[in-house]
Amino acid sequence: MEKERYIASESEEKQEPSKEEQVTTMIQQLGQTNIPQLTQDTNIHCLTIVGQIEGHIQLPPQNKATKYEHVIPQIVAIEQNPNIEGLLVILNTVGGDVEAGLAIAEMLASLSKPTVSIVLGGGHSIGVPIAVSCDYSFITETATMTIHPIRLTGLVIGVPQTFEYLDKMQERVVRFVTKHSKITEEKFKELMFSKGNLTRDIGTNVVGPDAVQYGLIDEVGGVAQAMQKLRELIDLNETKGEKIVQ
Amino acid sequence: MILYTIMPEHLIFQTDMDEYTKQKIVYYDGIPFIVQETETKEYEIVRNLSTNPFHFLEQKYAPGVRFPLSVVTS
Repeated sequence: MEKERYIASESEEKQEPSKEEQVTTMIQQLGQTNIPQLTQDTNIHCLTIVGQIEGHIQLPPQNKATKYEHVIPQIVAIEQNPNIEGLLVILNTVGGDVEAGLAIAEMLASLSKPTVSIVLGGGHSIGVPIAVSCDYSFITETATMTIHPIRLTGLVIGVPQTFEYLDKMQERVVRFVTKHSKITEEKFKELMFSKGNLTRDIGTNVVGPDAVQYGLIDEVGGVAQAMQKLRELIDLNETKGEKIVQ
Repeated sequence: MILYTIMPEHLIFQTDMDEYTKQKIVYYDGIPFIVQETETKEYEIVRNLSTNPFHFLEQKYAPGVRFPLSVVTS
């Protein structure tokens, strides 16, 4: 008898939580009660590069990280999906692994669909090549980008080899940035090696309008400008496509 | 103790392996999510990895929402 009752109460528990309960959990977990319900399909997808860019070493789960094994398949899927016409890349990153960052940047640069990037809080270090890899780049007024030489984290051993290896790695970053943006190699290297801007460190912290002035980023703007530019590029891409068909 | 070093923190203070297995990537309704298993044998969404911005407007894909282990597809 008691067992029966136990089973009965258990099955009761399995019932869907009431609407009121759902609302309470929503408030507890999200601090809000309702999010508009939309299931539309969209022709513009958005890729967010946040936190650290994770490389070959997995960062502990408490770190906010962008993993290239997540991002690269997403870029492949975007390239393949015919319903997706454009990609908006949102950056707020402190940088991270050089190889992983360059891999993401190269993937974005070789995407056949129009891409627009927008640097929000920060696009530091290896975030710079990712920002410039898109067809058009935006930076918000208050956002900053730190340009600095490649740093050693103690994973590469052997003094002369390490120096050469790092130098080559840096050369790849410089070449990528100068190829995909309007900044000259001289200016980029000047910013990279300048002293006195970052306390006791080499490099420069470039704020929004300065990044545009140096030619690193195309324009200062927010999400509205970025979306407008992306739609423009999509229209341009479509008319080009039609011409080829005819 | 104060430790001055240029080494990243995670190289010096290695995280316990259990920490890594807590979170994993699963597909739910065809959308990739980073999830964490709860004591109630459910998955709790930690992060939505979708690139479709409309997936972020759906209440059931928001961080903190739980779904049963059985609905996961690989």
